[in-house]
Amino acid sequence: MVLLNFAAAILALDFYVTYILVALALFSFVAVFALFAVYAERKVSAFIQDRLGPMEVGKYGSLQTLADILKMLQKEFIVPAAADKILFAAAPVIIFLSVYMGFATLPWGPDIVPSALNIGVFYVFAIVSVESVGILMAGWGSNNKYSLLGALRSVAQVVSYEIPAGIAIISAVMISQTLDLQEIAIKQGVLSSESVKFLGFWNVKEIGGFLSWNVFQAPHLIIAYVIYFIASLAECNRAPFDIPEAESELVSGFHTEYSGMRFAFIFLGEYSMMFLTAMFGVVLFLGGWNTVLPNIGDLHLADWTTGPFWGIFWIVSKVFLIVGVQMWLRWTLPRLKVDQLMSLCWKILTPLAFFCMLISGIWQLVIM
Amino acid sequence: MTIEQLAFYVISATALLSALLVVSLKNFVRSIFLFFLTLFSMAGLFVFALADFVAVTQLVIYVGGVLVLMIFAFLLSNRELLNNPEASEQSGFLHYLPGITVSVVFLGVLLMVLLKLDPGEFQWIQQSKENTLKPTDNTIHYLGINIMTRYLLPFEVVSVLLLMALIGAAHLARKEKEQ
Repeated sequence: MVLLNFAAAILALDFYVTYILVALALFSFVAVFALFAVYAERKVSAFIQDRLGPMEVGKYGSLQTLADILKMLQKEFIVPAAADKILFAAAPVIIFLSVYMGFATLPWGPDIVPSALNIGVFYVFAIVSVESVGILMAGWGSNNKYSLLGALRSVAQVVSYEIPAGIAIISAVMISQTLDLQEIAIKQGVLSSESVKFLGFWNVKEIGGFLSWNVFQAPHLIIAYVIYFIASLAECNRAPFDIPEAESELVSGFHTEYSGMRFAFIFLGEYSMMFLTAMFGVVLFLGGWNTVLPNIGDLHLADWTTGPFWGIFWIVSKVFLIVGVQMWLRWTLPRLKVDQLMSLCWKILTPLAFFCMLISGIWQLVIM
Repeated sequence: MTIEQLAFYVISATALLSALLVVSLKNFVRSIFLFFLTLFSMAGLFVFALADFVAVTQLVIYVGGVLVLMIFAFLLSNRELLNNPEASEQSGFLHYLPGITVSVVFLGVLLMVLLKLDPGEFQWIQQSKENTLKPTDNTIHYLGINIMTRYLLPFEVVSVLLLMALIGAAHLARKEKEQ
């Protein structure tokens, strides 16, 4: 009996060990992604500005960010004398964790999802909003006027842009009729159990490919996706919405006082946020892990390229594409002023997003 | 003790301890950030009550909205005022007496209810024995249907109230006309 109990305990432990392994795998993926995204960002900016970028460490500077992270790991923790020590130390952890927890419900392929929640969309939206608490904590804890101003600007921006983003997301959810991210992904490809209609009239359930993505099922979602994309740039505090970190005005905003590993965690949070928002948008609008290639006659390209590994391949390449666009925009567009930022959000994006939601409702009633 | 129970006790203890610290800390800003921990562990407790939607809504509204607003109010106020609150001058047992009395009496009432209550005696509890939720159930469908049918009037009244608050806020934020 005791032995049996012991075996059950081991089995139960096994069950939890997989959770921990999945979490570790996600963390290491995010960390490696951040390392190479920083490298890519520097190379993209160099290309756009007609420079070479990092060239010294490794072939074409490819080991530059590894050298950077090694340097950061060795640095001592510098805490400003007048800072609130507890808040100062806790802020980077909260900023990173809030983003990292968002990955829990995002699907990577058919049957590959860390946790298939019934309310996945809502969960991601909610957990990401915790980041602003971490930013405020960093801004206050540093006891530095630039940090505080940066934090206030950042939160004002994130809170405002959550509204158009949320409504754009709702208009996609109204088409999908579910809040489970995995189900939303399934409904945009050949594995769907219901009919999938391209532009609302042509059933492409057997054909799949890009034709069955949400943006092509209901074309007004293209506008919704653009709104979501712009708002996600603002939520990542990236140019053209980088007034929280405006180098020429605020040194570097809420993370002015951070150095070493703590700075690395804030940076990790920022780059994971880029990946998270891009992936969330891809799942909601651009077919998630579904293949790009449609079945053409006897050439079953969509069936051949759908599977666990293909799923990971497709979603990662789609997300990399979107992250690439984010970088391209950052080094191309100038920074918006505060009043331009707010008028873009409240006077253009929010009404447009409401309009998309209205069309989604009519679409659901009349066409589907 | 299963891991679920362990998690439940850890989360409850966090909620209680952080709430206690929120009211007893001298440093206002720290206590408001601790309030975040309280609200977050409350969301965790809602998950254990199989109210996942309520838990996430708690995060969106209290953490993403109310708490951020409260922190904003703190950060925009004078730092000296925060560091030297006037109330700390008149500390001592007498100062805390009303608060302690109220909380002890309230605890007594709660304990009395808990001890005297026999959950089995209520009919509605006995009737709902079979009618339980599973962790995998999709609760948002029930919520949506109930809000749109049974609770439609309160829902609409609340939405009108929120609209009024929005219009009021927009009016307050407008530039005043020069006279």
